[in-house]
Amino acid sequence: MKITIDNDLAKFIIRLADTEMILGQRLCEMCSNGPFLEEDIALSNSALDLIGRAEELYKIVAEIENKGISPDDYVYRRNEREYFCLKLVEQPNTDFAWTIARSYLHDVYANEVFTQLQNSKNENLAALSKKVLIEIMYNLDRTRDWMVRLGQGTEESNSRLQEAVNHMFRYIPEMWNWDDIDQKYLADTDKVKANWETEVNGILKASNIEKPSDDPFFMGDYRDGIHSEYLGHILTDLQYLPRAYPDAKW
Amino acid sequence: MDKYQEAFDGIIERDERVEPRDWMPDEYRKHLIRQVSQHAHSEVIGMQPEGNWLLRAPSLRSKQVLLAKIQDEAGHGLYLYSVAETLGISRAEMLQQLHDGKAKYSSIFNYPALTWADIGAIGWLVDGAAIVNQVSLQRTSYGPYSRGMIRICKEESFHQRQGFEIMLHMANGTPEQREMAQDALNRFWWPSIMMFGPHDSDSPNTGNAMKWKIKRESNDELRQKFIDKTVPQAEFLGLTIPDPDLKWNEEKGSYDYGEIDWEEFWAVVKGNGPCNKERLDHHIKAHKDNAWVREAAEAYAAKTEGELV
Repeated sequence: MKITIDNDLAKFIIRLADTEMILGQRLCEMCSNGPFLEEDIALSNSALDLIGRAEELYKIVAEIENKGISPDDYVYRRNEREYFCLKLVEQPNTDFAWTIARSYLHDVYANEVFTQLQNSKNENLAALSKKVLIEIMYNLDRTRDWMVRLGQGTEESNSRLQEAVNHMFRYIPEMWNWDDIDQKYLADTDKVKANWETEVNGILKASNIEKPSDDPFFMGDYRDGIHSEYLGHILTDLQYLPRAYPDAKW
Repeated sequence: MDKYQEAFDGIIERDERVEPRDWMPDEYRKHLIRQVSQHAHSEVIGMQPEGNWLLRAPSLRSKQVLLAKIQDEAGHGLYLYSVAETLGISRAEMLQQLHDGKAKYSSIFNYPALTWADIGAIGWLVDGAAIVNQVSLQRTSYGPYSRGMIRICKEESFHQRQGFEIMLHMANGTPEQREMAQDALNRFWWPSIMMFGPHDSDSPNTGNAMKWKIKRESNDELRQKFIDKTVPQAEFLGLTIPDPDLKWNEEKGSYDYGEIDWEEFWAVVKGNGPCNKERLDHHIKAHKDNAWVREAAEAYAAKTEGELV
Protein backbone atom coordinates (compact mmCIF):
# COMPACT_ATOMS: atom_id res chain seq x y z
CA MET A 1 0.00 0.00 0.00
CA LYS A 2 1.42 3.37 -0.97
CA ILE A 3 -0.02 6.08 1.25
CA THR A 4 0.10 9.61 -0.10
CA ILE A 5 -1.39 12.68 1.51
CA ASP A 6 -2.82 15.28 -0.81
CA ASN A 7 -4.71 17.82 1.25
CA ASP A 8 -2.62 20.64 2.73
CA LEU A 9 -4.36 20.58 6.11
CA ALA A 10 -3.90 16.81 6.29
CA LYS A 11 -0.20 17.28 5.47
CA PHE A 12 0.05 19.82 8.28
CA ILE A 13 -1.75 17.62 10.82
CA ILE A 14 0.18 14.47 10.01
CA ARG A 15 3.42 16.26 10.95
CA LEU A 16 1.98 16.78 14.41
CA ALA A 17 0.54 13.27 14.57
CA ASP A 18 3.85 11.64 13.58
CA THR A 19 5.79 13.77 16.04
CA GLU A 20 3.50 12.77 18.92
CA MET A 21 3.47 9.12 17.84
CA ILE A 22 7.24 8.74 17.60
CA LEU A 23 7.83 10.50 20.92
CA GLY A 24 5.21 8.19 22.45
CA GLN A 25 7.05 5.17 21.04
CA ARG A 26 10.35 6.47 22.45
CA LEU A 27 8.77 6.90 25.89
CA CYS A 28 7.41 3.34 25.71
CA GLU A 29 11.06 2.22 25.73
CA MET A 30 11.34 3.62 29.25
CA CYS A 31 8.78 1.17 30.63
CA SER A 32 10.53 -0.77 33.44
CA ASN A 33 13.63 1.40 32.93
CA GLY A 34 12.69 4.47 34.97
CA PRO A 35 14.80 5.74 37.91
CA PHE A 36 12.08 4.68 40.39
CA LEU A 37 8.61 3.23 40.22
CA GLU A 38 6.64 6.50 40.45
CA GLU A 39 8.64 7.97 37.58
CA ASP A 40 8.19 4.81 35.52
CA ILE A 41 4.44 5.27 35.87
CA ALA A 42 4.69 8.95 34.96
CA LEU A 43 6.65 8.18 31.79
CA SER A 44 4.07 5.57 30.74
CA ASN A 45 1.38 8.13 31.39
CA SER A 46 3.07 10.64 29.10
CA ALA A 47 3.47 7.94 26.45
CA LEU A 48 -0.25 7.17 26.70
CA ASP A 49 -1.11 10.86 26.29
CA LEU A 50 1.10 11.16 23.23
CA ILE A 51 -0.12 8.01 21.47
CA GLY A 52 -3.74 8.84 22.26
CA ARG A 53 -3.23 12.36 20.91
CA ALA A 54 -1.55 10.98 17.77
CA GLU A 55 -4.48 8.63 17.18
CA GLU A 56 -6.99 11.48 17.39
CA LEU A 57 -4.88 13.52 14.96
CA TYR A 58 -4.67 10.58 12.51
CA LYS A 59 -8.45 10.30 12.68
CA ILE A 60 -8.76 13.91 11.52
CA VAL A 61 -6.24 13.25 8.73
CA ALA A 62 -8.22 10.16 7.69
CA GLU A 63 -11.44 12.13 7.65
CA ILE A 64 -9.99 14.98 5.56
CA GLU A 65 -8.29 12.64 3.12
CA ASN A 66 -11.33 10.36 2.94
CA LYS A 67 -9.57 7.51 1.14
CA GLY A 68 -10.50 4.65 3.45
CA ILE A 69 -7.12 4.74 5.18
CA SER A 70 -7.28 4.17 8.94
CA PRO A 71 -5.13 5.64 11.72
CA ASP A 72 -3.50 2.20 12.07
CA ASP A 73 -2.61 2.24 8.35
CA TYR A 74 -0.93 5.62 8.76
CA VAL A 75 1.14 4.36 11.66
CA TYR A 76 1.93 0.84 10.52
CA ARG A 77 2.11 1.04 6.72
CA ARG A 78 4.27 4.05 5.91
CA ASN A 79 8.03 3.88 5.48
CA GLU A 80 10.74 6.28 6.70
CA ARG A 81 10.39 8.76 3.83
CA GLU A 82 6.61 8.86 4.27
CA TYR A 83 6.89 9.86 7.95
CA PHE A 84 6.92 13.54 8.93
CA CYS A 85 8.02 13.75 12.57
CA LEU A 86 10.53 16.21 13.99
CA LYS A 87 14.03 14.73 14.24
CA LEU A 88 14.08 15.88 17.86
CA VAL A 89 11.61 13.19 18.94
CA GLU A 90 13.56 10.41 17.19
CA GLN A 91 16.56 10.93 19.46
CA PRO A 92 17.35 8.04 21.82
CA ASN A 93 16.99 7.58 25.58
CA THR A 94 20.76 7.58 26.09
CA ASP A 95 20.16 8.40 29.74
CA PHE A 96 17.35 9.95 31.76
CA ALA A 97 18.64 13.47 31.00
CA TRP A 98 18.16 12.78 27.27
CA THR A 99 14.64 11.55 27.92
CA ILE A 100 13.79 14.67 29.90
CA ALA A 101 15.52 17.24 27.64
CA ARG A 102 13.87 15.77 24.53
CA SER A 103 10.41 15.78 26.12
CA TYR A 104 10.81 19.24 27.58
CA LEU A 105 11.89 20.87 24.31
CA HIS A 106 9.03 19.08 22.57
CA ASP A 107 6.47 19.98 25.23
CA VAL A 108 7.23 23.71 24.94
CA TYR A 109 6.79 23.45 21.17
CA ALA A 110 3.58 21.43 21.44
CA ASN A 111 2.20 23.90 23.96
CA GLU A 112 2.71 26.83 21.56
CA VAL A 113 1.42 25.01 18.49
CA PHE A 114 -1.74 23.61 20.05
CA THR A 115 -2.47 26.93 21.75
CA GLN A 116 -2.70 28.52 18.31
CA LEU A 117 -4.64 25.60 16.86
CA GLN A 118 -7.45 26.11 19.37
CA ASN A 119 -8.64 28.69 16.86
CA SER A 120 -8.27 26.45 13.81
CA LYS A 121 -11.03 26.72 11.21
CA ASN A 122 -11.23 22.94 11.28
CA GLU A 123 -13.65 22.35 14.15
CA ASN A 124 -12.32 18.91 15.01
CA LEU A 125 -8.78 20.20 15.23
CA ALA A 126 -9.83 23.20 17.32
CA ALA A 127 -11.79 21.01 19.75
CA LEU A 128 -8.99 18.46 20.02
CA SER A 129 -6.42 21.21 20.63
CA LYS A 130 -8.44 22.58 23.53
CA LYS A 131 -8.65 19.14 25.06
CA VAL A 132 -5.01 18.13 24.62
CA LEU A 133 -3.64 21.43 25.92
CA ILE A 134 -4.61 20.39 29.44
CA GLU A 135 -2.42 17.28 29.12
CA ILE A 136 0.38 19.17 27.41
CA MET A 137 0.54 21.78 30.13
CA TYR A 138 0.64 19.06 32.77
CA ASN A 139 3.45 17.26 30.94
CA LEU A 140 5.30 20.52 30.46
CA ASP A 141 5.10 21.26 34.18
CA ARG A 142 6.61 17.86 34.86
CA THR A 143 9.46 18.05 32.35
CA ARG A 144 10.22 21.64 33.32
CA ASP A 145 10.53 20.57 36.97
CA TRP A 146 12.91 17.79 36.00
CA MET A 147 15.03 20.19 33.92
CA VAL A 148 15.56 22.39 36.96
CA ARG A 149 15.99 19.44 39.32
CA LEU A 150 18.65 17.81 37.14
CA GLY A 151 20.31 21.10 36.28
CA GLN A 152 20.60 22.18 39.91
CA GLY A 153 20.85 18.74 41.51
CA THR A 154 24.43 17.47 41.45
CA GLU A 155 27.50 18.14 39.35
CA GLU A 156 26.92 14.86 37.56
CA SER A 157 23.25 15.54 36.78
CA ASN A 158 24.13 19.01 35.56
CA SER A 159 26.80 17.73 33.18
CA ARG A 160 24.55 14.94 31.90
CA LEU A 161 21.78 17.44 31.27
CA GLN A 162 24.19 19.81 29.51
CA GLU A 163 25.25 16.99 27.20
CA ALA A 164 21.64 16.06 26.48
CA VAL A 165 20.68 19.67 25.75
CA ASN A 166 23.72 20.08 23.46
CA HIS A 167 22.60 17.05 21.51
CA MET A 168 18.92 17.96 21.27
CA PHE A 169 19.61 21.53 20.20
CA ARG A 170 21.03 20.23 16.91
CA TYR A 171 17.47 19.32 15.98
CA ILE A 172 15.83 22.60 16.94
CA PRO A 173 16.61 24.79 13.89
CA GLU A 174 14.46 22.64 11.58
CA MET A 175 11.42 23.50 13.69
CA TRP A 176 11.68 27.07 12.46
CA ASN A 177 12.00 26.36 8.70
CA TRP A 178 8.33 27.16 8.33
CA ASP A 179 6.90 26.40 4.91
CA ASP A 180 3.73 27.63 3.22
CA ILE A 181 1.67 24.90 4.83
CA ASP A 182 2.80 25.85 8.34
CA GLN A 183 2.09 29.51 7.57
CA LYS A 184 -1.36 28.63 6.30
CA TYR A 185 -2.54 26.81 9.43
CA LEU A 186 -0.61 28.44 12.27
CA ALA A 187 -1.86 31.94 13.08
CA ASP A 188 1.59 33.30 13.93
CA THR A 189 4.69 31.17 13.37
CA ASP A 190 7.02 33.93 14.62
CA LYS A 191 5.18 33.87 17.90
CA VAL A 192 5.64 30.09 18.25
CA LYS A 193 9.38 30.55 17.95
CA ALA A 194 9.57 33.67 20.12
CA ASN A 195 7.56 32.11 22.95
CA TRP A 196 9.52 28.87 22.71
CA GLU A 197 12.80 30.77 23.02
CA THR A 198 11.63 32.87 25.96
CA GLU A 199 10.48 29.80 27.89
CA VAL A 200 13.49 27.64 27.05
CA ASN A 201 16.09 30.38 27.66
CA GLY A 202 14.56 31.03 31.07
CA ILE A 203 14.61 27.39 32.10
CA LEU A 204 18.13 26.76 30.80
CA LYS A 205 19.26 29.68 32.90
CA ALA A 206 17.38 28.44 35.96
CA SER A 207 18.95 25.01 35.40
CA ASN A 208 22.51 26.38 35.16
CA ILE A 209 22.72 25.01 31.63
CA GLU A 210 24.58 26.89 28.91
CA LYS A 211 22.57 27.52 25.81
CA PRO A 212 24.22 25.72 22.88
CA SER A 213 25.15 27.78 19.83
CA ASP A 214 22.48 28.24 17.20
CA ASP A 215 24.73 27.84 14.18
CA PRO A 216 22.72 26.81 11.15
CA PHE A 217 22.49 23.11 10.31
CA PHE A 218 22.17 21.45 6.95
CA MET A 219 20.59 18.10 7.60
CA GLY A 220 17.48 18.14 5.46
CA ASP A 221 13.98 18.94 6.62
CA TYR A 222 11.45 16.65 8.28
CA ARG A 223 8.74 18.26 6.15
CA ASP A 224 10.37 16.50 3.17
CA GLY A 225 10.54 13.17 5.01
CA ILE A 226 14.24 13.55 5.85
CA HIS A 227 15.10 11.96 9.19
CA SER A 228 17.85 10.77 11.47
CA GLU A 229 18.94 7.14 11.02
CA TYR A 230 17.10 6.32 14.24
CA LEU A 231 13.69 6.47 12.59
CA GLY A 232 14.25 3.32 10.53
CA HIS A 233 14.97 1.35 13.69
CA ILE A 234 11.99 2.85 15.51
CA LEU A 235 9.69 1.83 12.65
CA THR A 236 11.24 -1.65 12.49
CA ASP A 237 10.01 -2.35 16.02
CA LEU A 238 6.78 -0.42 15.70
CA GLN A 239 5.65 -2.01 12.42
CA TYR A 240 7.05 -5.52 12.77
CA LEU A 241 3.82 -7.49 13.20
CA PRO A 242 1.60 -5.79 10.58
CA ARG A 243 4.50 -5.94 8.10
CA ALA A 244 5.26 -9.62 8.81
CA TYR A 245 1.61 -10.69 8.72
CA PRO A 246 -0.10 -8.27 6.31
CA ASP A 247 -3.37 -10.22 6.25
CA ALA A 248 -3.74 -10.58 10.00
CA LYS A 249 -6.17 -8.59 12.09
CA TRP A 250 -5.16 -7.93 15.67
CA MET B 1 -1.31 -16.44 77.31
CA ASP B 2 -0.59 -12.72 77.51
CA LYS B 3 -3.25 -10.13 76.83
CA TYR B 4 -1.67 -9.00 73.54
CA GLN B 5 -1.72 -12.47 72.09
CA GLU B 6 -5.28 -12.85 73.35
CA ALA B 7 -6.38 -9.64 71.63
CA PHE B 8 -4.73 -10.73 68.38
CA ASP B 9 -6.32 -14.17 68.51
CA GLY B 10 -9.67 -12.50 69.12
CA ILE B 11 -9.34 -10.37 66.00
CA ILE B 12 -8.53 -13.44 63.91
CA GLU B 13 -11.31 -15.49 65.45
CA ARG B 14 -13.97 -12.81 64.96
CA ASP B 15 -12.81 -12.43 61.33
CA GLU B 16 -11.88 -8.80 61.88
CA ARG B 17 -8.82 -7.11 60.36
CA VAL B 18 -5.43 -6.65 61.97
CA GLU B 19 -4.31 -3.04 61.54
CA PRO B 20 -0.72 -1.67 61.45
CA ARG B 21 -0.85 -0.34 65.02
CA ASP B 22 -2.24 -3.55 66.49
CA TRP B 23 0.08 -5.91 68.28
CA MET B 24 0.86 -8.97 66.17
CA PRO B 25 3.11 -11.99 66.65
CA ASP B 26 6.56 -11.61 65.09
CA GLU B 27 5.98 -14.66 62.93
CA TYR B 28 2.74 -13.17 61.56
CA ARG B 29 4.56 -9.95 60.68
CA LYS B 30 7.46 -11.85 59.11
CA HIS B 31 5.14 -14.04 57.09
CA LEU B 32 3.26 -11.00 55.76
CA ILE B 33 6.40 -9.06 54.88
CA ARG B 34 7.65 -12.06 52.92
CA GLN B 35 4.33 -12.58 51.13
CA VAL B 36 3.49 -8.92 50.41
CA SER B 37 6.98 -7.97 49.24
CA GLN B 38 7.04 -11.03 46.99
CA HIS B 39 3.66 -9.96 45.64
CA ALA B 40 4.95 -6.40 45.02
CA HIS B 41 8.10 -7.64 43.29
CA SER B 42 5.97 -9.90 41.09
CA GLU B 43 3.94 -6.92 39.87
CA VAL B 44 7.11 -5.00 39.08
CA ILE B 45 9.10 -7.82 37.45
CA GLY B 46 5.93 -8.71 35.53
CA MET B 47 6.29 -5.40 33.69
CA GLN B 48 9.28 -6.83 31.81
CA PRO B 49 7.82 -9.67 29.70
CA GLU B 50 4.93 -7.42 28.67
CA GLY B 51 7.15 -4.39 28.17
CA ASN B 52 9.11 -6.61 25.79
CA TRP B 53 6.15 -6.36 23.36
CA LEU B 54 5.10 -2.78 24.03
CA LEU B 55 7.16 -1.36 21.16
CA ARG B 56 5.83 -4.05 18.81
CA ALA B 57 2.13 -4.05 19.73
CA PRO B 58 0.36 -4.45 16.38
CA SER B 59 -2.28 -1.69 16.58
CA LEU B 60 -2.80 1.67 18.24
CA ARG B 61 -5.52 0.19 20.39
CA SER B 62 -3.52 -2.83 21.55
CA LYS B 63 -0.51 -0.64 22.29
CA GLN B 64 -2.51 1.77 24.43
CA VAL B 65 -4.31 -1.02 26.27
CA LEU B 66 -1.04 -2.83 26.98
CA LEU B 67 0.61 0.37 28.13
CA ALA B 68 -2.29 1.12 30.48
CA LYS B 69 -2.14 -2.44 31.78
CA ILE B 70 1.58 -2.33 32.54
CA GLN B 71 1.07 1.02 34.19
CA ASP B 72 -1.62 -0.52 36.42
CA GLU B 73 0.81 -3.23 37.40
CA ALA B 74 3.44 -0.71 38.38
CA GLY B 75 0.69 0.98 40.43
CA HIS B 76 -0.14 -2.35 42.11
CA GLY B 77 3.54 -2.68 42.94
CA LEU B 78 3.34 0.73 44.62
CA TYR B 79 0.26 -0.16 46.71
CA LEU B 80 1.88 -3.39 47.79
CA TYR B 81 5.22 -1.81 48.70
CA SER B 82 3.21 0.62 50.81
CA VAL B 83 1.35 -2.23 52.48
CA ALA B 84 4.67 -3.88 53.34
CA GLU B 85 5.99 -0.55 54.66
CA THR B 86 3.17 -0.49 57.23
CA LEU B 87 4.76 -3.66 58.62
CA GLY B 88 8.07 -1.92 59.26
CA ILE B 89 10.25 -2.52 56.21
CA SER B 90 11.38 0.17 53.76
CA ARG B 91 11.11 -0.02 49.98
CA ALA B 92 14.90 0.30 49.73
CA GLU B 93 15.32 -2.76 51.97
CA MET B 94 12.84 -4.73 49.88
CA LEU B 95 14.64 -3.81 46.66
CA GLN B 96 17.94 -4.82 48.21
CA GLN B 97 16.48 -8.21 49.15
CA LEU B 98 15.23 -8.62 45.59
CA HIS B 99 18.61 -7.72 44.12
CA ASP B 100 20.41 -10.05 46.56
CA GLY B 101 18.15 -12.90 45.51
CA LYS B 102 16.71 -13.18 49.06
CA ALA B 103 13.22 -12.10 48.06
CA LYS B 104 11.43 -14.04 45.34
CA TYR B 105 8.77 -13.04 42.84
CA SER B 106 6.29 -15.16 40.94
CA SER B 107 8.18 -17.70 38.83
CA ILE B 108 5.82 -17.25 35.91
CA PHE B 109 7.69 -14.08 34.93
CA ASN B 110 10.83 -16.11 34.38
CA TYR B 111 9.31 -17.51 31.21
CA PRO B 112 9.98 -15.60 27.99
CA ALA B 113 7.25 -13.78 26.02
CA LEU B 114 8.25 -15.01 22.56
CA THR B 115 5.32 -13.94 20.38
CA TRP B 116 2.46 -11.45 20.52
CA ALA B 117 0.15 -14.35 21.41
CA ASP B 118 2.16 -14.73 24.62
CA ILE B 119 0.89 -11.29 25.62
CA GLY B 120 -2.61 -12.70 25.17
CA ALA B 121 -1.75 -15.83 27.14
CA ILE B 122 -0.16 -13.82 29.95
CA GLY B 123 -3.25 -11.64 30.33
CA TRP B 124 -5.67 -14.54 30.03
CA LEU B 125 -3.88 -17.22 32.07
CA VAL B 126 -1.39 -15.43 34.31
CA ASP B 127 -3.70 -12.58 35.28
CA GLY B 128 -6.54 -15.11 35.39
CA ALA B 129 -4.61 -17.18 37.93
CA ALA B 130 -3.59 -14.06 39.84
CA ILE B 131 -7.24 -12.99 40.10
CA VAL B 132 -8.29 -16.31 41.63
CA ASN B 133 -5.58 -15.88 44.23
CA GLN B 134 -6.26 -12.20 44.81
CA VAL B 135 -10.03 -12.55 45.09
CA SER B 136 -9.35 -14.96 47.92
CA LEU B 137 -6.87 -12.51 49.46
CA GLN B 138 -9.52 -9.78 49.63
CA ARG B 139 -10.55 -11.54 52.85
CA THR B 140 -7.00 -11.78 54.21
CA SER B 141 -6.66 -10.86 57.89
CA TYR B 142 -4.23 -7.93 57.50
CA GLY B 143 -6.31 -4.79 56.87
CA PRO B 144 -4.05 -2.83 54.48
CA TYR B 145 -3.36 -5.95 52.39
CA SER B 146 -7.05 -6.81 52.20
CA ARG B 147 -8.01 -3.27 51.12
CA GLY B 148 -5.19 -3.22 48.57
CA MET B 149 -6.48 -6.47 47.10
CA ILE B 150 -10.01 -5.14 46.74
CA ARG B 151 -8.70 -2.26 44.67
CA ILE B 152 -6.31 -4.40 42.66
CA CYS B 153 -8.96 -7.00 41.80
CA LYS B 154 -11.06 -4.39 40.02
CA GLU B 155 -8.18 -3.64 37.66
CA GLU B 156 -7.07 -7.24 37.25
CA SER B 157 -10.38 -8.30 35.74
CA PHE B 158 -9.79 -5.69 33.01
CA HIS B 159 -6.34 -7.22 32.45
CA GLN B 160 -7.71 -10.67 32.02
CA ARG B 161 -10.20 -9.39 29.44
CA GLN B 162 -7.33 -7.66 27.61
CA GLY B 163 -5.51 -10.99 27.37
CA PHE B 164 -8.62 -12.91 26.38
CA GLU B 165 -9.40 -10.36 23.66
CA ILE B 166 -5.94 -10.86 22.10
CA MET B 167 -6.43 -14.65 22.22
CA LEU B 168 -9.87 -14.30 20.66
CA HIS B 169 -8.53 -12.24 17.76
CA MET B 170 -5.70 -14.68 17.21
CA ALA B 171 -7.73 -17.86 17.60
CA ASN B 172 -10.17 -16.53 15.00
CA GLY B 173 -7.48 -15.01 12.79
CA THR B 174 -5.25 -16.38 10.04
CA PRO B 175 -3.84 -19.95 10.32
CA GLU B 176 -0.52 -18.46 11.47
CA GLN B 177 -2.21 -16.45 14.21
CA ARG B 178 -4.13 -19.51 15.35
CA GLU B 179 -0.94 -21.50 15.50
CA MET B 180 0.70 -18.77 17.57
CA ALA B 181 -2.27 -18.77 19.97
CA GLN B 182 -2.13 -22.55 20.46
CA ASP B 183 1.64 -22.42 20.90
CA ALA B 184 1.31 -19.72 23.58
CA LEU B 185 -1.26 -21.83 25.44
CA ASN B 186 1.02 -24.86 25.17
CA ARG B 187 3.90 -23.00 26.75
CA PHE B 188 1.98 -21.02 29.40
CA TRP B 189 -0.55 -23.59 30.65
CA TRP B 190 1.66 -25.59 32.99
CA PRO B 191 3.63 -22.64 34.39
CA SER B 192 0.26 -20.92 35.04
CA ILE B 193 -1.13 -23.75 37.11
CA MET B 194 2.20 -23.96 38.93
CA MET B 195 1.60 -20.34 40.03
CA PHE B 196 -0.55 -21.64 42.91
CA GLY B 197 2.48 -23.32 44.43
CA PRO B 198 3.14 -26.86 45.66
CA HIS B 199 0.36 -29.32 46.52
CA ASP B 200 -1.10 -28.71 49.98
CA SER B 201 0.68 -31.80 51.25
CA ASP B 202 4.07 -30.24 50.29
CA SER B 203 3.47 -26.60 51.19
CA PRO B 204 5.55 -25.62 54.23
CA ASN B 205 4.03 -22.14 54.76
CA THR B 206 0.36 -22.98 54.39
CA GLY B 207 -0.29 -24.16 57.97
CA ASN B 208 0.34 -20.88 59.81
CA ALA B 209 -1.00 -18.77 56.96
CA MET B 210 -4.34 -20.57 57.15
CA LYS B 211 -4.41 -20.43 60.96
CA TRP B 212 -3.84 -16.66 60.87
CA LYS B 213 -6.30 -16.29 57.98
CA ILE B 214 -3.65 -14.61 55.82
CA LYS B 215 -4.49 -17.31 53.32
CA ARG B 216 -8.14 -18.32 53.14
CA GLU B 217 -8.00 -21.14 50.63
CA SER B 218 -5.28 -23.70 50.01
CA ASN B 219 -3.03 -23.89 46.95
CA ASP B 220 -4.90 -26.89 45.57
CA GLU B 221 -8.33 -25.35 46.15
CA LEU B 222 -7.31 -22.19 44.30
CA ARG B 223 -5.66 -24.17 41.48
CA GLN B 224 -8.84 -26.21 41.03
CA LYS B 225 -10.95 -23.04 40.84
CA PHE B 226 -8.68 -21.64 38.16
CA ILE B 227 -8.73 -24.80 36.07
CA ASP B 228 -12.51 -25.12 36.29
CA LYS B 229 -12.95 -21.53 35.21
CA THR B 230 -10.39 -21.64 32.40
CA VAL B 231 -11.20 -24.91 30.60
CA PRO B 232 -14.52 -23.63 29.18
CA GLN B 233 -12.75 -20.43 28.04
CA ALA B 234 -10.19 -22.50 26.12
CA GLU B 235 -13.05 -24.46 24.57
CA PHE B 236 -14.74 -21.21 23.56
CA LEU B 237 -11.50 -20.16 21.85
CA GLY B 238 -11.27 -23.55 20.13
CA LEU B 239 -7.83 -24.15 21.62
CA THR B 240 -6.58 -27.35 23.22
CA ILE B 241 -5.17 -27.39 26.75
CA PRO B 242 -1.92 -29.39 26.63
CA ASP B 243 -2.92 -31.95 29.26
CA PRO B 244 -4.10 -35.36 27.99
CA ASP B 245 -5.33 -36.26 31.49
CA LEU B 246 -7.62 -33.25 31.76
CA LYS B 247 -11.23 -34.43 31.99
CA TRP B 248 -14.47 -33.54 33.72
CA ASN B 249 -15.13 -35.51 36.86
CA GLU B 250 -18.88 -35.70 37.27
CA GLU B 251 -18.68 -37.00 40.81
CA LYS B 252 -16.62 -34.17 42.28
CA GLY B 253 -18.06 -31.57 39.89
CA SER B 254 -14.68 -30.35 38.68
CA TYR B 255 -11.85 -31.23 36.34
CA ASP B 256 -9.19 -33.83 36.97
CA TYR B 257 -5.80 -32.85 35.68
CA GLY B 258 -2.44 -34.44 34.99
CA GLU B 259 0.69 -34.51 37.12
CA ILE B 260 2.54 -31.20 37.42
CA ASP B 261 6.28 -31.30 36.71
CA TRP B 262 7.53 -30.24 40.14
CA GLU B 263 11.12 -30.67 39.09
CA GLU B 264 10.64 -27.78 36.65
CA PHE B 265 8.78 -25.76 39.29
CA TRP B 266 11.57 -26.02 41.85
CA ALA B 267 14.30 -25.42 39.27
CA VAL B 268 12.66 -22.13 38.23
CA VAL B 269 12.05 -21.11 41.87
CA LYS B 270 15.74 -21.73 42.59
CA GLY B 271 16.80 -19.46 39.74
CA ASN B 272 17.28 -21.92 36.91
CA GLY B 273 14.38 -20.89 34.67
CA PRO B 274 14.70 -19.43 31.19
CA CYS B 275 14.80 -15.73 32.20
CA ASN B 276 15.57 -15.57 35.94
CA LYS B 277 18.95 -13.95 35.37
CA GLU B 278 17.70 -11.56 32.67
CA ARG B 279 14.78 -10.30 34.80
CA LEU B 280 16.93 -9.60 37.81
CA ASP B 281 19.81 -8.14 35.77
CA HIS B 282 17.34 -5.81 34.03
CA HIS B 283 15.94 -4.54 37.32
CA ILE B 284 19.38 -4.09 38.87
CA LYS B 285 20.69 -2.28 35.79
CA ALA B 286 17.76 0.17 35.64
CA HIS B 287 18.19 0.83 39.36
CA LYS B 288 21.98 1.32 39.19
CA ASP B 289 22.10 3.28 35.94
CA ASN B 290 19.64 5.76 37.39
CA ALA B 291 21.23 6.16 40.82
CA TRP B 292 22.46 9.61 39.70
CA VAL B 293 18.86 10.71 39.01
CA ARG B 294 17.73 9.79 42.51
CA GLU B 295 20.80 11.51 43.97
CA ALA B 296 20.08 14.64 41.94
CA ALA B 297 16.44 14.69 43.06
CA GLU B 298 17.49 14.31 46.70
CA ALA B 299 20.20 16.98 46.40
CA TYR B 300 17.73 19.37 44.80
CA ALA B 301 15.09 18.67 47.45
CA ALA B 302 17.66 19.31 50.18
CA LYS B 303 18.71 22.62 48.57
CA THR B 304 15.18 23.87 48.09
CA GLU B 305 13.63 22.21 51.15
CA GLY B 306 10.70 21.06 49.09
CA GLU B 307 9.88 24.38 47.43
CA LEU B 308 8.08 24.02 44.12
CA VAL B 309 10.00 25.01 41.01
